[in-house]
Amino acid sequence: MKRFTGLTAAAAVLLGSTGFAVAQDGAVSLETGKDIDMVLLPKFLGILVFDQANEGAQEAHAELGNPGELLFVGPTPENSTAGQIEIMTTSATQGQGAVMLSNNAGDQISPSAMAAQKAGTKVVTWDSPIPSGEGEDVFVAQVDFGSIGVVMADMAHSILEGAGEMAVLSATPDASNQNAWIASMKEALENDEKYADIELVDVVYGDDQAEVSYNRALALVDQYPNLGVIMSPTTVGIQAAAKAMQDEGLCDQVRVSGLGLPSEMVSYTMNGCAPEFALWDFRDLGYLTYYTAYGLASGQLSGDIGETFTAGRMGDYTIEADPSREGSKRILMGPFTVYNSENVEAAAK
Amino acid sequence: MLNRISPQTLRILALLAVLALVLLFFSTQVPNYLNGRLFNRISSSVAIMAIVACAQTLVILTRNIDLSIGSTLGFVAFATGSLITNNPELGPALLLIYSICLGACFGVVNGALVAYARIPSIIVTLATMALFRSALVEYSDAKSITTGNLPTWLVDFPNYKILTFGSYQLRASFLLAVVVVIIVHIALTRLRAARKIYAVGSNPEAAEMAGINSKRVVLTAFVLAGALAGLAGFMFLARFGTITVVAGLGFELKSVAASVVGGVNIFGGSGSVIGAFIGAVLVDLIDMSLVRWQLVSEFWREAVLGTLILLSVAADATLMRRLVAWRVAREKARIQRSTQS
Repeated sequence: MKRFTGLTAAAAVLLGSTGFAVAQDGAVSLETGKDIDMVLLPKFLGILVFDQANEGAQEAHAELGNPGELLFVGPTPENSTAGQIEIMTTSATQGQGAVMLSNNAGDQISPSAMAAQKAGTKVVTWDSPIPSGEGEDVFVAQVDFGSIGVVMADMAHSILEGAGEMAVLSATPDASNQNAWIASMKEALENDEKYADIELVDVVYGDDQAEVSYNRALALVDQYPNLGVIMSPTTVGIQAAAKAMQDEGLCDQVRVSGLGLPSEMVSYTMNGCAPEFALWDFRDLGYLTYYTAYGLASGQLSGDIGETFTAGRMGDYTIEADPSREGSKRILMGPFTVYNSENVEAAAK
Repeated sequence: MLNRISPQTLRILALLAVLALVLLFFSTQVPNYLNGRLFNRISSSVAIMAIVACAQTLVILTRNIDLSIGSTLGFVAFATGSLITNNPELGPALLLIYSICLGACFGVVNGALVAYARIPSIIVTLATMALFRSALVEYSDAKSITTGNLPTWLVDFPNYKILTFGSYQLRASFLLAVVVVIIVHIALTRLRAARKIYAVGSNPEAAEMAGINSKRVVLTAFVLAGALAGLAGFMFLARFGTITVVAGLGFELKSVAASVVGGVNIFGGSGSVIGAFIGAVLVDLIDMSLVRWQLVSEFWREAVLGTLILLSVAADATLMRRLVAWRVAREKARIQRSTQS
C-alpha cells in the first residue's frame, strides 16, 4: 500500500486509535459499522447468477452494519463493455469506497479501473478478473481456475467412460474466466495419463446467447460424427446445448456437461441429456466479495499477500498470489458442487 | 426472354443461384455437408429469422427501419413465457394472440413516434431498442424462463414433423414461417391496401397527392412488423425454452442484413418478402457453414459474413443498373427501328 489516499488515510487514523482487531490465529476480524458506499457491478443485468451474488452482498452489507449504500448497477446486455467502463468511471467520480466488478471488458477496463484506484476507490473483482491484473486490488476467485479445468476433464472422463471425443462450447471469445478454464482443462488433458484417450476436437463460442449456442452445439454434432460430449463452461451454453440435443433426439450419442444452474438443468439431468455438471454458490461469492471490499475500503485490510481475515459465516480467507495471472492477487473461495441425478432435484428448489 | 421477367423475379432467381453456389462451395470444403441434416438444421433455425426479416421488410419498404425488433421479440418471448408459466392451463390460441398483440403494442409506439411525431425512424427505434430491452431487464427481475415450466405442447411444437422424406423433415416451425411469408407476399402484391406501402416508400409526395394517408400507412407498417415480431417471439420461446434478458439480441441487424441481401431496397419502395426470406436462408446458411469450415477462425467469421453482405448488395445494385441500362438501350433501338421504317 504505497499510495495513501484521503479515505484510506482517514480510515488508518481511525484504526490507529482503536487498534487492529486481530483474532488469535492472526486473522483480521473486520469491525462493523464503517460508513462506506460500494458498487456491485455485474457483467450485465438480468442474469440469475449475478442477482444471487447481489443477494449475498446485501446479506454481508446488513451483517457488517455499513450505514453507507450498496448499489447494484450494471450495463444492459447489448452495451456490456462500454457500460462497465462508464460505470467504473462514474463510481470513481462519485467517490465510491469500492467497486466490485465481474469483468466483461477484458483489459479495456484497466485505464478506468486504475483511475478509480487513483481516486481512492478500491477495485475488487469477482467471477471474472481483469486479465492483466492492472487496476485491480484483488480478485475473489470462485474456485481455483486450475481445478475447474480438472473438474471439467473429470466430468468428461466419467461421461465418456474414459475414451472419446469432446468439444467445448464457450461464451464469448474474449471472456477471461472461460478462456482461463478452457486453458486449464487443455493442460489437464495433455499432462495426465488418465485423460490420454479423450480428444478435444474443437472449441466454439455461443456468445452467451441461447440461439447462437443452440446452433453451435448442433454444428458440432454435424461436424464430428463421433462426438461424445459437449463441455460448456457457461450457464447459457450448457442449457442451450442440452435443449438442442434433446430436441434432435441426440442425447444417447452426445451428452452435455459443464457449468450450469441446477434450476435450469434439472430436467436435462434427470432425462440423461446432461448427466453431470458443476457450479459454485454465487450467493457465497457475493458475500465474500463484499467482506473483502469492505475490509480494503475501510483500511482494515492492507491487501498484501499473506493477509488473513474472517469473512463472517464463511470463515477465514487469505490473500495470495494468483497462480494463473502473474503479479496479481486473489482470494480463493472454493469449493464447488458437482450435480447429478442424485442431488440436482434438491438443489433446484 | 430476359425482358419478360420482372426485375423482382430476376432478383429472386439470382439469389437462388447464389444459394446454390454457396451450397456447392461448402460441400467441397466441409465433410458430411450436403444431406438431410443440413436441411433440417437450416430450416428449423431460419424459421424465426424469416419472420423477423419479413417484419423488417415491411418497415424498410416505407423508407424506415426498425432497430427495436430484437428487443420486441425478446420482451414478447419473456412475457409469453412468464404468462404460460403462471397459467399453465392457457390454450395455444390465446397464448399466440397474446404474443402477437403485445408485439403490435410495441409497434404502435414506434409507428406513432415515426409517423406522427415525425422523428426519423432510425432515432426512434434506436431509442426504443434500448427502452424495450431495459423494460425487459426490469420486468424479468433477473429471473429466467425455463423449459421445465413450459407445457409440452409448446416445447414440442417447433420440431413437430409434418412430413418426412428420408432424412429430410418438414417441421412445423418452418412451415409456419413459409406460410406467413407467402401470406404477406400475396397481400403485398394483390391487396390494394397493402400496395400503399410500396407507394409511400417509393414516393411519399406522390402517394400523398394520390390521396394516400402516408402517416397511417407508416404506422400500419410498424404495427404489422411489431405483430410479426411478437409471433417470432412466441416461436423463440417455443424453440429455446430458456429465455433470459439477452433473448433476440442482435436480431435487428441480422434482419436488416437478411432483407438487404434479399434485394429489399434500403431506401424503400422496392423489394419483396420472398427475397427477404431467401436472404435470411442465405445469411443463416453462410453463418452455419462458416462454423464448420475449419479455415475460418471464430474471430474472422463475422468479418467474412460482413464481406458477403457487402458483396451481395453491391452485386445486386450493379446487376440491376446494367439490366436497366440494357433495357433502355434496347427500347431506344426498337424505337429507332420503328421510326426509320
